Amino acid sequence: MIAVLGLVVGVVVGLLIRPEVPAVVEPYLPIAVVAALDAVFGGLRAMLDGIFVDKVFVVSFLSNVVVAALIVFLGDKLGVGAQLSTGVVVVLGIRIFSNAAAIRRHVFRA
Amino acid sequence: MSSEDFTPHEPRQPEAARTETAEMTGRQRLAAGLWPPRVTRAQLVVALLLFVLGLGLAIQVRSTSDDGALRGARQEDLVRILDELDDRSQRLEDEKTRLDAQRRELENSSNQAEEARKQTEERERQLGVLAGTVAAEGPGITFTVEDPLTAVEPDKLLDTIQELRAAGAEAIQVNDVRVVADSYFSGRAGAVEVDGRKITAPYRFQVIGKPQDLEPALNIPGGIVQTLEKEQATATVTRSEKIVVDALRPAERPDYARSSSQ
Repeated sequence: MIAVLGLVVGVVVGLLIRPEVPAVVEPYLPIAVVAALDAVFGGLRAMLDGIFVDKVFVVSFLSNVVVAALIVFLGDKLGVGAQLSTGVVVVLGIRIFSNAAAIRRHVFRA
Repeated sequence: MSSEDFTPHEPRQPEAARTETAEMTGRQRLAAGLWPPRVTRAQLVVALLLFVLGLGLAIQVRSTSDDGALRGARQEDLVRILDELDDRSQRLEDEKTRLDAQRRELENSSNQAEEARKQTEERERQLGVLAGTVAAEGPGITFTVEDPLTAVEPDKLLDTIQELRAAGAEAIQVNDVRVVADSYFSGRAGAVEVDGRKITAPYRFQVIGKPQDLEPALNIPGGIVQTLEKEQATATVTRSEKIVVDALRPAERPDYARSSSQ
């Protein structure tokens, strides 16, 4: 419950205070958000499986974000930033879908 | 997505970590996690991370919707868009230059046409004064001949006209007949006709020209005035700053003569 509240508060705060994103971070924010979403879905699935451990969630969340940003950064340096970020989004999307499927089976038994 | 596509995001935990919840279904675990709210370390940590996620999500959504497509665009895309805009503005600039030139050209030609039309009108008025088809006004004299004895012959009046023309008269009217290049005098004393129209004494010449030239031309010794006085007629010359010659004659189209100039 508190976790869901945290998400809601984060969205509200982000909409209200409208913080200025530093230009350095800006290209990585969308990918980082998608990576974090992937971690959250994975965590939700783990919880439903009864194998959730907070430490693992924290590590996977942070490492997901960092690795995704790193890949985009590397892609930009290599001149294939657009393609590489598309690839990252595709892979993360596949994982989000498979996790969502597992969650769906738990929640709806179907 | 196949239902057996089992790639767990989280590594499986040792059995000990989930012994007390092992018998619960996923749905029960979800309900237990949601309600009642419990302040545990796991909940707080996850709440913190989800707060960060929500923040990033909101910022990203906001910046994407704020500034349209450009904010999220990559550098090479921006360069391409900039190039396209440059091209486009260059094309528009070219077109503007071309249209400006065209407009100037049209303005010039319409100015020239306007000027030509004005000149033609001016010329038409000047020629109309000579041909007697338009009224004229200007400085000049009024020359009145009283003829109590009806002794003034038409040729005397013709002499008067010749004298006035020689002195630079530009428009002449006798009584209410306009005198032009092909005007003629006929009849006899007392029944003078100009261009076939009868005029009676007193003969009143209205003449536009330079008064200082016209008056002496009539008054010189042995001139018109003296000649007329010999015939017992009285002739008077009056200068005026504004003479109106408003008798008109219809414009006649020549039957045979054609302009030889282009």
